[in-house]
Amino acid sequence: MKNKLIFLLILAVIQVSATFAQERTVSGTVTSSDDGMPLPGVTVQVKDTDRGTVTDFDGNYSIEVSSGEVLVFSSMGFERKEITAANQTTIDVSLAPDLQSLEEVVVTSFGIEQEKKSLGYAVQEISSEEITSTKQQNLVSALQGQAAGVQITNSGGAPGMSARIIIRGVNSLDPTADNQPLFVIDGVPIDNSTIESGGTPRGLSNRAADLNPNDIESLNILKGAAATALYGVRAANGAVIITTKKGQAGSVRVNINSSVGFDEVNQFPDFQETYGQGFSGVYDASSFWPNWGPSMEEINEIDPDVRFYDIWDDAMRTGTQIDNTISVSGGSENATFYGSIGKLDQEGIIPFSDWGRTSAKLSGEVKMSDKFKFSGNINYSITGGNRVPHDRFMERLVYWAPNHDVTDYINEDGTMKTYGNTNPIYDARFSTFEDEVNRTVGNLRFTYSPTKWLDLTYLVGTDYYSDKRTEITPGPLGIDGELPLDSQGFITETRITSRDINSNFFVTFKNDWTEKLNTTLRVGNDIFERDYERVDATGREFVIPEFYDLSNVNQVFNDQDKRKRRLVGVYGDLMVNYDETLFLNVTARNDWTSTLPIGNNSFFYPSVNLGYVFTETFDPGDWFTFGKLRASWAEVGKDTDPYQIGQTYSSPGVFPLNGNVGFSRFDRFGDLELKPERTTAIEFGADLSFFENRLGLDVTWYKSNSKDQIIPVPVSPTAGFTTFVTNAGEIENRGWEFILRGSPVRNEDFSWDVSFNAAYNRNEVVSIREGIEAIPIGSQFGYAGSTVSITLLEGEPYGNIFGTSYARYGADNNSIYLDEDLPIIIGPNGFPERNPAQLVLGNTTPKWIGGLKNSFSFKGIDFSFLMDFRAGVDQYNQYDNFFSAFGISEYTLNRNETIVFDGVLADGSPNTQPVWLGQGVGPDDRNYGAGFYRNTYRTISENFVQDASFIKLRNITLGYSLQENALAVLPFESVRLSVAANNIILYTPWDGFDPESFSAGAGGNATGLTGLGYPGVKSYFFTLNLGL
Amino acid sequence: MKFKIKKYKYVILAAAFAFTSCDDYLDINDNPNNPIDAPLSSLLVNSTYESTQNTFRMGNITSNYVQYLASPNAASASDVMEPVSYSGSWGALYNVMTDINDMILKAQEEEAAHYEGIGQILMAYNLGLTVDAWGNVPYSEAFNFVTVTPSYDDDAQLYSNILGLLDEGLANLSADSSISVGEDDFIYQGEISNWIKFGNMLKARYLNHFSETGSYDPAAVLSAVENGFDGNEDDAQMEYFEQAFNPWAQVAIDNANLFLGGWISEQFIQAMDGTIYGYDDPRLPLMVGATDDGEYIGTENGAGRGDAPEEGARSVLEEGDYYTQRQGPVLIATYAEQKFIEAEAAFGIDKARSYQAYLDGIRAHMNKIGVGQSEIEAYMNNPEVSMGVDAFTIDDIFKEKWVAMFLNPESWVDARRHDYDYEDFDLPANLNPDLNGNFLRRLAYPDTEVTRNGSNVPDVTLLDPIFWDE
Repeated sequence: MKNKLIFLLILAVIQVSATFAQERTVSGTVTSSDDGMPLPGVTVQVKDTDRGTVTDFDGNYSIEVSSGEVLVFSSMGFERKEITAANQTTIDVSLAPDLQSLEEVVVTSFGIEQEKKSLGYAVQEISSEEITSTKQQNLVSALQGQAAGVQITNSGGAPGMSARIIIRGVNSLDPTADNQPLFVIDGVPIDNSTIESGGTPRGLSNRAADLNPNDIESLNILKGAAATALYGVRAANGAVIITTKKGQAGSVRVNINSSVGFDEVNQFPDFQETYGQGFSGVYDASSFWPNWGPSMEEINEIDPDVRFYDIWDDAMRTGTQIDNTISVSGGSENATFYGSIGKLDQEGIIPFSDWGRTSAKLSGEVKMSDKFKFSGNINYSITGGNRVPHDRFMERLVYWAPNHDVTDYINEDGTMKTYGNTNPIYDARFSTFEDEVNRTVGNLRFTYSPTKWLDLTYLVGTDYYSDKRTEITPGPLGIDGELPLDSQGFITETRITSRDINSNFFVTFKNDWTEKLNTTLRVGNDIFERDYERVDATGREFVIPEFYDLSNVNQVFNDQDKRKRRLVGVYGDLMVNYDETLFLNVTARNDWTSTLPIGNNSFFYPSVNLGYVFTETFDPGDWFTFGKLRASWAEVGKDTDPYQIGQTYSSPGVFPLNGNVGFSRFDRFGDLELKPERTTAIEFGADLSFFENRLGLDVTWYKSNSKDQIIPVPVSPTAGFTTFVTNAGEIENRGWEFILRGSPVRNEDFSWDVSFNAAYNRNEVVSIREGIEAIPIGSQFGYAGSTVSITLLEGEPYGNIFGTSYARYGADNNSIYLDEDLPIIIGPNGFPERNPAQLVLGNTTPKWIGGLKNSFSFKGIDFSFLMDFRAGVDQYNQYDNFFSAFGISEYTLNRNETIVFDGVLADGSPNTQPVWLGQGVGPDDRNYGAGFYRNTYRTISENFVQDASFIKLRNITLGYSLQENALAVLPFESVRLSVAANNIILYTPWDGFDPESFSAGAGGNATGLTGLGYPGVKSYFFTLNLGL
Repeated sequence: MKFKIKKYKYVILAAAFAFTSCDDYLDINDNPNNPIDAPLSSLLVNSTYESTQNTFRMGNITSNYVQYLASPNAASASDVMEPVSYSGSWGALYNVMTDINDMILKAQEEEAAHYEGIGQILMAYNLGLTVDAWGNVPYSEAFNFVTVTPSYDDDAQLYSNILGLLDEGLANLSADSSISVGEDDFIYQGEISNWIKFGNMLKARYLNHFSETGSYDPAAVLSAVENGFDGNEDDAQMEYFEQAFNPWAQVAIDNANLFLGGWISEQFIQAMDGTIYGYDDPRLPLMVGATDDGEYIGTENGAGRGDAPEEGARSVLEEGDYYTQRQGPVLIATYAEQKFIEAEAAFGIDKARSYQAYLDGIRAHMNKIGVGQSEIEAYMNNPEVSMGVDAFTIDDIFKEKWVAMFLNPESWVDARRHDYDYEDFDLPANLNPDLNGNFLRRLAYPDTEVTRNGSNVPDVTLLDPIFWDE
């Protein structure tokens, strides 16, 4: 089918018979009437044709016109001007600022530009400047705090580590679903998946990190179903539309961007520095126990040479990053190009962690005639690095006694130097995991406009990457007395290849029925294919130590995973514009998918949205510049992953055993009648601006319901399967989004712009299939039964964390919620009693998220800062659980105190019994065993489910651009120097490392489980921009 | 105009053609990673492996109840007999029964009688493990996805199913098979005569479970014993692998790495070190580890380790003893056990035979785990052990069987049939108050059943006995 389309297209191309009128070249300069400064980027168009150009950096343009034709000069923020070309060869134009205009152009589906004014749904555009100024190397992280209703969470502070993006809440009950939006570059979707490591967390990248943020021109976030209806099933969670930089006609411009940055841990937990190694207050220099020994004073009485090291600081280093990008762009009226090469090298704060990206991009556009345009884009990148086992590193640091220098980790013979416990730095150095991704993203776009009212466009793109991973953990080196990292050692070679092909052909009909009524109709066909394959080979037990090759092992295990998915869509999109006042947009789409049973795999869904610019109809007053109301209703269908249907067998991972491979009936059965999911969304909004655009307000209310969810329903294992993939359940998200922007000061020398956004989301699991009470999303270990889990229940919001709590007097036994206001019950032993029942201790989905950005500019100086916040969110602090169990937290300093716990006895009378918090026999001669923190505190999940709200100063930048007088003597067109800092202020009630961390990686939904994550960082950057 | 119509016609034709080929283009959803069917031998590999694993899994649950093991933590739910949800073990039992079910059906299709017979014996064994722990469980509506919520069958009825499966299995094993069993059988490596002995041994075991009921038929037990194991060499067991260690060895390794587990109950230590019975048992050092000081100190069930440190101060499973060798066997059913079954069944019919079987049982276990001959003789000659036929009681059988069945889940069936009536066998400290001072009689139904199949789950307490325990 795809081939046929290409064939048709070629036919269409051959039929092109362009005719050229008698033309001549007109050139000139466009300036601002305000200050006479040249205006770059002004669109110069020959009216009623597709011929056009834009002015270069100095406001110059040149264009072919026939006499009598009308030239239209337009630029955002300026009034349009039309000039009829007579016989002159030079037309200089001065444009007047138009403070009334709000004709912001945004890119929506398939790289099509649309006036923001005409849209009946919320979109939010982020400029290249706003992306690069964050200094985030991961495109997703760069969006933090910048768009209303878009929640970005970094999974940790490692170089290249993934970041998760969720728009308007989680839409799926399926614990394994990827709830993230579709990423689209120049009209063609690309892959943004995160493939985590199998064993201990290694913090791998989401694939959008392969893109160099310096190559991005703008980024537009489509939030609702209405906005994404045209992208079909893959955009059911919204879409991030990326437009990359293009060349512009004019002289060749070279841009050099160099940046160097330094990272440090931005927040440490509160540690105690009084008690040293041992247990029960007894010092033992080889004890497993790092911090349950006596105080340093007492230890130094035994051995005066023992020190208390700050191992947490010692084990980390200052991270560095060096980023260089050089781009060249330019072109003539008929052909433009943009090329860039970027190189980024990062070293993380945990020793031996690093990541880098080398990227090259080339794009060009050729106008072969007035009727035929062709553009292409290719982006090649190599990314990867050494991913240290950060979770294990931090865990081993928990166990490491601070009385030993953690940085003294290796003996001369290469074995680990230790008093007994595994040294985390030794492990980080030798347990390597290196990945290298080679990726090519490319697309071609052909546009043929045989007449004024008809465009034919064909867009084809591919996204191909290979991901090569090698994990090595050495076995024994064969040296007497060594403590090896692994009793056998192993090597795992992983090879992943993924290839996406997107083909999209559409025809656009434009018609001006009357002066006031015009329509645009677009119909098209869309084909997607993903071909994914992964091969894993693991070898165990090296024959020759330190020779890491699959041929050098005693046991080999192999695994293979192949997946293929295809989607075909047909769509129509009708836009009606009445007098620039009423905008109606109706879309319809039918998709066919390979992943649903044939017969159920075709699904249709429509959308309609309406925009009404009421300030065009009546004039509320001069102060009211612009006002638009919008409403939309949309449906989106959604398919599932490949190979979900029916019954199969699989070989459990334990095989082969002695050469025998066993098979077991696969525990998942897919409904033979599986049908597509449906999301229905409604949205209302208003876009208002006042005082000549000095103040703007955008408010949106939305509600979306996803029904017939395709979820792996857990069923009784007695039935023959444990998971039944079927349509079951509904989830609802509703909320508000606010954007407030203003320009309190705007004059020639000084300007101040501020923008604020905030979003509130409420989520509810409306229903789950009858007979199914709960859907488990994830769980994380806590000592002595304090493991917490995230489970979905009907009528409850997504992300409730369940765990153990202190027993409460007067608690309602039927409530699943912990009532923290009730008094704690103190047992007969004088210690708080534990309630082993799993109660809701918090929720991991933030209620409020938002950001605030301020930018100031004064002559050549610019200054900006971006803050973001989240509120109403709880997380499980696994670090704290470990820190209490091992006597590391500052609060364990009271371990030798005798206290009376605040609470009541089982009969409700106040507790008066004094108890000692320490280990062993207390001052009252009673034996307290392992002590309060190990016997009680660490076993109560409630202690570790904590408020993870924060306000962060994401970025603060001070820049200086050389002014004309200085540039005059330099060989540069522009020079800008800037210093920036990220995350230097973190305000949070959370005690621990940066709360923005979770172990599942961006693709996982259990975001509230922090794990022993890679600590978050603050960074400082120095950047130089040169324009030639 | 004419030209235009012609052109459109081609477009319509092309579009129509495109859509008819669409179905083919999208017909790519057959899973290339998982086969739709699995050969008999691969099902047998998995079934023998997982059945052995289930022996460990259930033993890991029951060993605290019969006080072989004790938790290092005070008032641990398993020690104090709280209603713990064993969803994982329940799932593993049904997982392998599902595979065995498929193997039996496939073997019937292919007339592979030996595979069918082995399947029936393994099905009887896993179903027995399940019924003995939980009582009423799904069977008649299980495995084949006839419903997402299978109903529960009566436990007494399930016992007829078990015995029926064993009879059918024995018949099939004696029949001709289109395919021979070989190395794909991790238990007997295809030795069908051993499977026949094992089938008879299991028949004796399950018939003997009726001891407290009116339908107990000791003669039937003894006749099954006749066709059972002839010696330790016939034992049903699976040796572990370089790639997958014996799970009890893994418990010992984990404990050494401070993931605590496998701590020995004070009850077991005191039964073996002379505290309770007044004489040493030479098997103790071959079964469990000593403290750093070379002593054998158990942990009291329910009391936890008190202020003892995590390592070195209590007896634990240590790697390398008989039950904890990395590639050592997990014992499913042994000749020693069969001898004690014989002793119990013969006790009321032929006491001399019973007494002899008792002595043979002890000797068989000692030989099995490698006690030296002189130590065996010394122990057997102890008048407390060889008390003579007259002084010999049923309690002596249960005591020695309890030692010989170390870590095996069958011990909990014995303990319940014997009403936990071992010498000085006390309730755990911090006993679950809901038990009103009694030992538990069954496991609670797992959470996965309660949440996924709640309407069918019987309403029982931990004190409600299995039918054979009335």
